[in-house]
Amino acid sequence: MNLATYARRNLFRRRGRTILTIIAVTVAVLIFCAIRTFIVAWNAGADEAAADRIATRHKVSITMQLPRHYIDELREVPGIQAATWANWFGAKDPKERVPFFAGLAVDHNTWFDVQQDMKVSADVLAAWKQTPNGAILGDVLARALEVQVGSRLVITSDIYPGDWEFKVVGIYTPVRKTVDRNTLLFRWDYLNNDPRAVYSKEHLGWMVSRIAGSADSAALSRRIDAKFESRDDQTMTMSERAFALSFLGGFSAVLSAFQWVSLGILVIMTLILANTIAMSVRERTHEYGVLRAIGFPPGHIFGFIVGESLLVSLAGGLVGAVIVELLINHALGPFMQDNMAGVFQHFFTPGWVVAVAVGAAAVLGVVAGLIPAVLASRLKVTDALRRLD
Amino acid sequence: MSQGEPSASIVTLSGINKTFYRGKEPIHVLENLDLDVPGGSFEALMGPSGSGKSTLLNIIAGLDRPTSGTVRVAGEDLTKLSDGQLAKWRSQTIGFVFQSFNLIPVLTAAQNVELPLLLTSLSAADRKTHVETALRIVGLVDRMHHYPRQLSGGQEQRVAIARAIVNDPKIIVADEPTGDLDRKSADDVLTLMDRLNKELHKTIFMVTHDPSAAERASVQRKLDKGALQ
Amino acid sequence: MVPFQYNARSLFVRKVTTLATALGIALVVFVFAAALMLGEGVNRALKTAGRPDTVVILRKGSDAELTSAIANEYLGLFRGPAQVAQAGGVIGEIIVVVTAEHADGSGVSNVLVRGTPPGGLAFRPEIKITSGRAPRPGTNEVIVGTAISGRFKGLFPGQSIDLRRNRPLQVVGEFSADGSSYESEVWGDLDYVRNALGREAVVSSARVRLNTPSDFDAYRQLIEGDKRYSMKAMREPDFYEKQSQATGGFLKGLGLTVAILFSIAAMIGAAITMNGAVAHRTREIGTLRALGFSRASILTSFLIEAIVLAVIGGVVGSTLVLLLSLVSFPVMNFQTFSEIVIRFHATPAVFVKALVFSGVMGLIGGLVPAIRASRVSPVEAMRG
Repeated sequence: MNLATYARRNLFRRRGRTILTIIAVTVAVLIFCAIRTFIVAWNAGADEAAADRIATRHKVSITMQLPRHYIDELREVPGIQAATWANWFGAKDPKERVPFFAGLAVDHNTWFDVQQDMKVSADVLAAWKQTPNGAILGDVLARALEVQVGSRLVITSDIYPGDWEFKVVGIYTPVRKTVDRNTLLFRWDYLNNDPRAVYSKEHLGWMVSRIAGSADSAALSRRIDAKFESRDDQTMTMSERAFALSFLGGFSAVLSAFQWVSLGILVIMTLILANTIAMSVRERTHEYGVLRAIGFPPGHIFGFIVGESLLVSLAGGLVGAVIVELLINHALGPFMQDNMAGVFQHFFTPGWVVAVAVGAAAVLGVVAGLIPAVLASRLKVTDALRRLD
Repeated sequence: MSQGEPSASIVTLSGINKTFYRGKEPIHVLENLDLDVPGGSFEALMGPSGSGKSTLLNIIAGLDRPTSGTVRVAGEDLTKLSDGQLAKWRSQTIGFVFQSFNLIPVLTAAQNVELPLLLTSLSAADRKTHVETALRIVGLVDRMHHYPRQLSGGQEQRVAIARAIVNDPKIIVADEPTGDLDRKSADDVLTLMDRLNKELHKTIFMVTHDPSAAERASVQRKLDKGALQ
Repeated sequence: MVPFQYNARSLFVRKVTTLATALGIALVVFVFAAALMLGEGVNRALKTAGRPDTVVILRKGSDAELTSAIANEYLGLFRGPAQVAQAGGVIGEIIVVVTAEHADGSGVSNVLVRGTPPGGLAFRPEIKITSGRAPRPGTNEVIVGTAISGRFKGLFPGQSIDLRRNRPLQVVGEFSADGSSYESEVWGDLDYVRNALGREAVVSSARVRLNTPSDFDAYRQLIEGDKRYSMKAMREPDFYEKQSQATGGFLKGLGLTVAILFSIAAMIGAAITMNGAVAHRTREIGTLRALGFSRASILTSFLIEAIVLAVIGGVVGSTLVLLLSLVSFPVMNFQTFSEIVIRFHATPAVFVKALVFSGVMGLIGGLVPAIRASRVSPVEAMRG
């Protein structure tokens, strides 16, 4: 046996209390990881946005459109390898099966050239060229709207009146886990030719360009905007990541509130740990006196107390890590990704979040034990022996 | 060392004063006390409660410091040692026996006895040997893997004594060792302590208010109102 | 019944433990109450603008003013029916979101700009100009809601922002609107705004003042049944109710979920504390039983102690959360895609709910320990 044995055995003195404390730490780790996973999932789209794509939109408002001929001028800018465009359709499911999905009218000739995160076969592209009202969907959306290749699909729009009928010509495959699987793409010329879209005729919503990976995207963006500076419709060009983030910008306050909240659960966990350790130390003050009398130096006593606190918090942290892994990454995550892709297409706890949680549990375990340990080791031996607790 | 022959002092206290404060009130527990304990002696200290017996014991054992005076125990001037040095000195020099046994409930008898050895650099195998020897001396080797709750009061105290001697200390300090025991167990414990004194030549300093326990010692002193008689 | 003094003193004697547990509960109550206050704030911001005698008309199929478009000529048709009040009547407004830079350089957000006709300010008696003056109709003058004034570059009295190249908006004043979401908007002249955007003949939405609220059903049938156009009509309060549902419900749901998860940890903490208390006071409990106190009275006594402990934390937490009323919180409104500024709003109901919540935590956390306490037999009083 050694000193570690003593520390370990002490944990089972009040088994109920130790178990409850471990459960508390486990719950805290679970909550912490869940909150951080939420934050990571929210930012996932933005974080993984391609480095080799930039987006150009109207400078004044995301809801204002640019003249169609801008795309020709954009393609002339040196450094632009390929450019495409899209219009926001405001798509809704008339049968309300899907609460929200993105509907885009895109240039069918160039979209998949630039948006290489989504892949379709050459056959699908050819079919799309032949079908004016052809639509390509993400697999999750297709399942939710109950359509396959060849089906007829009717949707409505927030912006344009009436029913819009499409023929599904293909399902795109996402290249990475974080790519959206909930988007509907149809031909821009189909929208442009429809009399209901008279207000946006010959206008595009925004343009996306592929640039060389090594290019200086900031300088290129500035050059593009300078080109359109003197026009009535000025542009704002930014990296695709910045573009995606500008949608999330309205929620930055909520997300930073969540960062604070995730710290809050760690504070509660530390309070519970400190409380448990303080109670244990108070009950064993006499025993620590005996050990000191026998000759154990105060440093050993300090070590016992901090060591016990660390063992409890580490145990809770590790149990929590295992549960997180099983619950989120093997049960909840896949469920959310398949069924709530519109909101969370990537709900997955990264390893570093779990590591931080377990590390925090360990560090806070030590912190929680510090004050009781310092007080216990400073107590005069004779006072400790006098306590009958 | 030959039996029974008085030898050099192992404990020398001179001019010991110990004052406690209750609020602003000073309480002089020990006043100008001198004490000489020869090595190999078995001493009993008696006195009414509140007389300062435990305080004196604590000073001899290096658990407490006098307000003034000198303390020489086993060749060391205790007043010159720091708290850390005192702890080390205690682990090597003193064996403690308490009234309420004070065994650690989550450790077996053997593990309790092993505790003081964890402060040394002995190997696990050596520690095992010492533990067995100590338990054999107190007659409880067959109970070495039992937990304190599985032992009777008398057996617990004997395990505590084994713990007190496992490090081969020079002095055994006992504070009311038979206070919580029945007559028979008390007798067994005192017989054991007698053997430790006569056969292993351990100096024993015992505080007690049990006259029959005091009779077993070779020297009996009385402490009253802070002064020795 | 065991006198409460016993519990009170016991709580007081173990100060550190009482404090640590109460603090943990205080934190949980803080989060809970904050979530409630946020929900109240959203409701307040998005609801108070609604009057039961006012109708909002949007293009059928649109859920928000932003995406709706109504041809100008239809406004006259909306004014026709008898239910429409002669004074006040009908106004048509254009809504657009504009990218604006944060004044502190922390990025950009969308701000809602509302182009309103000359009668637009008077249509809403709750609008008060709090600094500067009202804009002159037909000009590029605008006023800024108090919630966003100064938060964006150019949106402050005396400054200007560009609606479009060479089409600046001059800020001439600030307005308040009883805490509603209007306070997160910029209001200017209908014609100037829509001309600048090239949408001359269109409004986003129409608001109609009826003679009495009960006229609504008849009016709605007329409007929605008219074959000349496809519109939908809603009572203004219902319109705002729908707007706040998505955002408000989301925030409130999120906040409450977090608070309830936290409460699990806090209840475990309370259980640990009360368990420790019972273990520490076994001899006392045995004595009480030996003296004649029943099991039920011991159970109740410890349960009350747990609840009081939790409520102490609840009081601390709900007092601290009042400080949040000083904080305003920008949130993206899903429906309008623009930023609205929410104030945490404390009501007596929030306070009461928070205290009840803390009491429930104490009850649940303290139940098992209280049962254990009641099981202590009088024999324990004799144990040394």
